[in-house]
Amino acid sequence: KDQLFVINEMCEMRNCSKCIYLEAKKKQDLYMWLSNVPRGPSAKFLVENLHTMSELKMTGNCLKGSRPLLSFDQEFDKEAHWSLIKELLIQTFSTPNHHPKSQPFFDHVYTFSIADNRIWFRNYQILEEDGSLAEIGPRFVLNPIRIFEGSFGGPTLFQNPHYVSPNDLRHLMRKRGAQKYMSRIQAKKSLEMRRGQPSYETDPTDDVFVTIRPEDAEEDS
Amino acid sequence: MDLDESFSSESSVDSDEELQEAFAAGKLRPGLNLELPASSKTINNTAGLNQTLLTIKKNLPWLERLDVTSKPATTHKDLISQSETDVHDDFKRELRFYCQAQATVLEAIPRLHSMSIPTKRPEDFFAQMAKSDDHMKRVREKLVEKQTAIERSEKAKKLRELRKYGKKVQIEVIQKRQKEKKEMLDAVKKYRKGQKDKLDFLENLPGEKKNSQNKKSADNLRPNKKREFKNKKFGFGGQKKRSKMNTKSSALDMSEFNPNINQKKPGKTGKGKPKPGNKNKRPGKARRQKAKSRKK
Repeated sequence: KDQLFVINEMCEMRNCSKCIYLEAKKKQDLYMWLSNVPRGPSAKFLVENLHTMSELKMTGNCLKGSRPLLSFDQEFDKEAHWSLIKELLIQTFSTPNHHPKSQPFFDHVYTFSIADNRIWFRNYQILEEDGSLAEIGPRFVLNPIRIFEGSFGGPTLFQNPHYVSPNDLRHLMRKRGAQKYMSRIQAKKSLEMRRGQPSYETDPTDDVFVTIRPEDAEEDS
Repeated sequence: MDLDESFSSESSVDSDEELQEAFAAGKLRPGLNLELPASSKTINNTAGLNQTLLTIKKNLPWLERLDVTSKPATTHKDLISQSETDVHDDFKRELRFYCQAQATVLEAIPRLHSMSIPTKRPEDFFAQMAKSDDHMKRVREKLVEKQTAIERSEKAKKLRELRKYGKKVQIEVIQKRQKEKKEMLDAVKKYRKGQKDKLDFLENLPGEKKNSQNKKSADNLRPNKKREFKNKKFGFGGQKKRSKMNTKSSALDMSEFNPNINQKKPGKTGKGKPKPGNKNKRPGKARRQKAKSRKK
């Protein structure tokens, strides 16, 4: 946790106002921090469904350093935490006009949409001005965990109730196998309890000399 | 027993669907007990959020930010209202994102044009691209590979269909021939038995066609001239050893002598002046096209 504050100092040294910090845990889970460095808010996300730019199904290409158009879903304006995240995303991902390292033309658009309480990111190349697009770049899903008031720390402003940590998920998955035996035993018990008591006594030898008439037998088959 | 108690207690309180929902939401812990959401788990400091939003908000001109909020553009008939789209339906979800991006593009580009900012990269503007040329080449190859795979499978399908059709036609032709043969034999039998005095059935034989049209004559069944020459020269391993002997018969043999090679004047080979009647031997373009389509 203390290493996170070091990032603040590093950013101050380099004169950066925004920081995206990616950390990988257990070589399985990727977390992304998005922070406004001096003392602004920061947000921590879990990155899911990550597909990189080198996948051959992503056929688009764009100028390296061209300014992106940013596209947001209307859901971003409906809740306070989404609005804050939207403002952070705008300030982080938009390139200032006439930045020395930027290229002049507009040929790609970033899409941020909200679905299932997560933010879905897509990067499309603008093939034609009338709207035909090809997917370029990485695609990922951000699952918001917490929003902090300070940069990489501070009091929590928002905690996502729908978030389940990947450790908990794996735990539940493992336990599911253990549940099988328990639920089978319980199902058997419940059947026994539901079966009920026999209502009257019957003698099994009563059926021995019962003859079925041929007409009745044909009806059954 | 433990199982009895746990079973009876939870069967009276929770239904199956509630349990399933709770598991999906991740609230279930081992033992099938429903964990109630603790009040400390959700922090939603809306006031604080709004406050910070106001502090960090920079009212930059649109040109610096280039952000557009849009709802999906096209009234695509697959795209039902947003609330109905399921996250797990990949196609609809991606379509929704695509339409959202399209709407943004359709809004932002005219706006940039109105500010007289060029948006389209000219053809001669070369700069470093996000993906290397090598990578793009591999992408193109993959696409081409997919195309060819599709075409190959289409061809195979067509061939299979053609074979079926061909087989049908073959069966029909065989049956027709058998029928004709049978009729011929019947007619011959009738004639022999004296029922018919005329021999008309011999006149209109179906097999009578011009010889040139009968492709399966013995001459056509020989291999072509080039093949024959090669067979003669190289067949049976060469036969070079006994091919040239200065015997009386080989000296008298004139079959390999062709006066046209060295004894005639040059320019005498060829067709010479084509006669005016020759054009008619080759059917015209329209006839040839018709024949071609009929053959298919």
